[in-house]
Amino acid sequence: MDLYNLGAVSWWESQCFYHAMAHLGREGLIICYPSSPYVCLGLHDDLDQEIDRSYCEKSDIPIFRRETGGGVVYLDSRQVFFQLVLKRDNPQLPLRRNRYYEKFLQPAISAYRQFGVPAELKDPADIAAAGKKCSGNACGDVGDCIAYVGNILLDFDYSIMSKILRVPYPKFREHLRLAMQSNMTTLKDWINYSVSFEDLSSKLIDGFTMQWGELDPRLPDQELVDKTRDIYKKLTCNEWLEMPGRRYFNRKIKISEGVMLMERKVGLNSSAVVLVRDGKIEDFNIFGKQLMEDRLNNNLIGQEWNEDLLARIL
Amino acid sequence: MQVKNFVIPENLFYDTNDYWIKVDGEEALIGMTDYGQNNTGDILYLELSQGGQRIKQGDRFGSIESGKWVGNLTAPLSGVVVDSNREVESNPRKVNTDSYGAGWMYRLKLSNPDEVGKLMAAKDYAKWVTEQINSEQEIE
Repeated sequence: MDLYNLGAVSWWESQCFYHAMAHLGREGLIICYPSSPYVCLGLHDDLDQEIDRSYCEKSDIPIFRRETGGGVVYLDSRQVFFQLVLKRDNPQLPLRRNRYYEKFLQPAISAYRQFGVPAELKDPADIAAAGKKCSGNACGDVGDCIAYVGNILLDFDYSIMSKILRVPYPKFREHLRLAMQSNMTTLKDWINYSVSFEDLSSKLIDGFTMQWGELDPRLPDQELVDKTRDIYKKLTCNEWLEMPGRRYFNRKIKISEGVMLMERKVGLNSSAVVLVRDGKIEDFNIFGKQLMEDRLNNNLIGQEWNEDLLARIL
Repeated sequence: MQVKNFVIPENLFYDTNDYWIKVDGEEALIGMTDYGQNNTGDILYLELSQGGQRIKQGDRFGSIESGKWVGNLTAPLSGVVVDSNREVESNPRKVNTDSYGAGWMYRLKLSNPDEVGKLMAAKDYAKWVTEQINSEQEIE
């Protein structure tokens, strides 16, 4: 298995190398981090629904749409990426694709644990520590290959992430930031020193070596560099970025596996922000009908969420 | 017919991308098998080709997302899309909960009916599914 232990790369190279390898049908592992921040949409995300484009433009945060699944992520130099590209007919790849996460995420789980973080797999594709998400992951068929991509969070800017996402009103944004802070964790929360890329990448390489045998360190060759540039043009053009994606009637943002923040209209002039965990309402705030809030809170917290619940109670 | 807990109706044709195909004259109804939906996991998004689109066997004719995996739907036969299931696009979980009924995906007018002869009958698909399950257990 080829290993590209690249360290800092440009923001677009941090996505385009693995796409290029997959489109070239070349298996390998890439470990890197982006030298500057950007936003990355999942293949089926709807740009205008998900992203506050004016904020991104004002803040010089470029936008990319990957060919793998999952939702919008804010990525910067405080995250280390591990990206594995396998041919779809690789005999080591389980038929049930989601199940491969169990194997793919082991090196990252092991790395976290070596830093004393009690990381574990949260099905299907999160790594969590003490119940909080600490790694975002995605996969998808790309060309004749399948690409598994993940990251380890050294630190995370919840404030910027909450500004990047399009929200219905400012108070929703505040709830979004709080929900992320309460349900995510990073290495910085667990250790009081700065972790170097070299330290983290060597732990990841050790983990992947145990799975795949000795890795073959390489640098990107001309074929890969050329393909990476082609991919960059394709995956950042307006037509690709603005491709219609899944639309929701009400704003709904996934915070982590099983945790969702949603907006629901409550009558003509009111709106509710609902935090649902594993199908049950964990937090509920209504704006515009303050008098009703206490009654609703008492009635709703802990109840199983379904789309008819608010209408029935109101 | 069943393999493990996976239902495989006998009156349908199948391919190795886990589609079932119900042929009715010049048309075919297409969906994902019970085994296929189970392997895919909870389906969160489906993007289906529109009616009128001409497709060839093996072409991409849609996109699917489950959990955090994204993949292509691959046409089991050549033809023209007569209709695609808008309800299953709005509620893709129907593929998980009723894969042979409300979870159907496409109605296709066949342009090369000879291709049907290369599809698998239920007993052949059952054998293929059994082999897949066994090979996965070997990897474990």
